[in-house]
Amino acid sequence: MNNRIKEYRARYNLTQEDLAKKVNVRRETIVFLEKNKYNPSLKLAFDIARVFNAGIEEIFISE
Amino acid sequence: MLYISNFVLELHNLILIRMKKGMIIFAVAALVLLTTGLWLTSARGTLKTFDLLNILVIVLVVAFALFIGYKRLSAAKRGEPPEDEMSRKVLLKTAAFSYYISLYLWVAILFIKDRINLDTEEILGAGILGMAITWAVCWLIFNYRGVRDE
Repeated sequence: MNNRIKEYRARYNLTQEDLAKKVNVRRETIVFLEKNKYNPSLKLAFDIARVFNAGIEEIFISE
Repeated sequence: MLYISNFVLELHNLILIRMKKGMIIFAVAALVLLTTGLWLTSARGTLKTFDLLNILVIVLVVAFALFIGYKRLSAAKRGEPPEDEMSRKVLLKTAAFSYYISLYLWVAILFIKDRINLDTEEILGAGILGMAITWAVCWLIFNYRGVRDE
């Protein structure tokens, strides 16, 4: 599964730390998500999509 | 004014709760080092190679625990949760994988126990320390390689 978290983060001018705090995870988790080394739970995926005011399928792309 | 002081106290409590686990790790590490020190001072005569190996492994395990404790504390200071879904998943995978490897470790120990000249306590100690090392290595691998589950 690929994602566009980095792109959206840049669009909203958020740092990895900011996003981590908003979705209540560690910064490390955001780093791993952006590198496609971790697939988030459905809850985290929804939380991230909510931060970016986007649909879940806009942020996460199934290969 | 009262509202501000309440808010500051709440924040202080929150940081303390999050730091608690990190502090426990530091306390256990200090205890392990202390007992190792006591063992070294009470040991009579020169230490055997096996003892030195045990000490090295203990130091490595303590260093690893301190590393985890430091990570937790720095996360708490940044206002992040010390644990989240990824760290729990890493722990789960580490536990499962290291358990699997440990089974083979004990089979290997059973196989070589008659071929080496060691006491039962020493063999058990080596096995337990081997399990600790297996866990630490698995954790490092999963923590740096990630868990994609695909």
